[in-house]
Amino acid sequence: MPGRAATERIRKAIALVNEVADGAGDEELTPTEIAEAIRDCLELREIEQGSNVRKYLGEALDAVSDGMPADFVAMTLYAALGALGESRPEI
Amino acid sequence: MKSAEGRGRTLDEAVDAALIELGESRRNVDVRVISEGPEETVVEVTVIDQTAAEAGTAAPPNGKADVARTLVEGLLKHMGVRAQVTVRTGTDPMTLDISGRDLGALIGWRGETLRALQSVTNVMLGRHLAEGERVIVDVERYRQRREHTVREIALRAARQVKMTGDAITLDAMQAFERRAIHLALQDDPDVGSSSIGEEPDRRVVVGPRKPADS
Repeated sequence: MPGRAATERIRKAIALVNEVADGAGDEELTPTEIAEAIRDCLELREIEQGSNVRKYLGEALDAVSDGMPADFVAMTLYAALGALGESRPEI
Repeated sequence: MKSAEGRGRTLDEAVDAALIELGESRRNVDVRVISEGPEETVVEVTVIDQTAAEAGTAAPPNGKADVARTLVEGLLKHMGVRAQVTVRTGTDPMTLDISGRDLGALIGWRGETLRALQSVTNVMLGRHLAEGERVIVDVERYRQRREHTVREIALRAARQVKMTGDAITLDAMQAFERRAIHLALQDDPDVGSSSIGEEPDRRVVVGPRKPADS
C-alpha cells in the first residue's frame, strides 16, 4: 500500500512544476530535472503496477517530454496524488 | 481608495494603528512601509478596493474573463461547492476570486487544493489564453493574504539582519511565496535574499547584501 514516501515524492515533483509555472525566479529548472523527479516516484515499489497512481505519473512524464505546459503536468501530478489518497485509508 | 498612515515602535504596531483609524481588518488592506528605524516605523495602509472586486462581473465586457468565470463556476458546481466567482479588476495576471462560506476545503493543506484548481483552470482555459498568459485563482483572498504575510516576514527578517549583520534562513515556502519575498527586498540597498535547498524544502535566506550585489 502506498505510503508517506510516495506522497512526499509526488509533492516534490508538483513543487518543481509549480515553481516553473509561478516563475519564482530563484532557480533555473530544466524539464530533465522535473522528469527525474517523476521517475523517482515511479521507482517506488510501493506504487503498484497497473494502479491509477502509476498511470497518472506515466502521463505526467509523457507530458514533460512532449513539452506540455507546466499547468498540464501539475494537473496530472495532482491526479496522481489524488489517486494515491484513494488507494489507502488515510493520508 | 481609503488609506491611512500608521506609526509605531514595530511594524505590527504601526499597521495596527492605521487599521484602527480605518476601521478595517488586515485581510482587507495593503501595507506599504514608508520608513523604518530602530525607534519608529511608519506605514501607509490602503484599503483594497472591495467594491471594484465585488463588482467584477459588472466590469467592462471582457470575453476572456467571462469565459474564465463561467468555467470556474461550472467546476465548483460539479464539486458541489456553493460559492461566488468574481474577476478581480485591474490585476495582471487576471485573478478569479472565489468567495462563500466554509471554503477551507477548497484551499486544502497548505493551499494544495486551491493550487490544483488553478492548474485545472489554466489547462481548461488554455486555448483562450495567449502564450505564457496565466490565470490566478484565489479563495477568500487566501493567496493575497499569504503574500502579505510573507512580505511582513521578509521585512521583519530584513530589520533583524540590519541590526545583527547575520543572515536568517526562513521556513520552507512555495514558489509564489519566495517570489513575494524576493520582490519585497529587491530594492533594499542593505539586505538581499536568495534561495537554498531543494523542493519542497526550498527556503529563502535573508542576509546582508554584498557590495557586488548592489
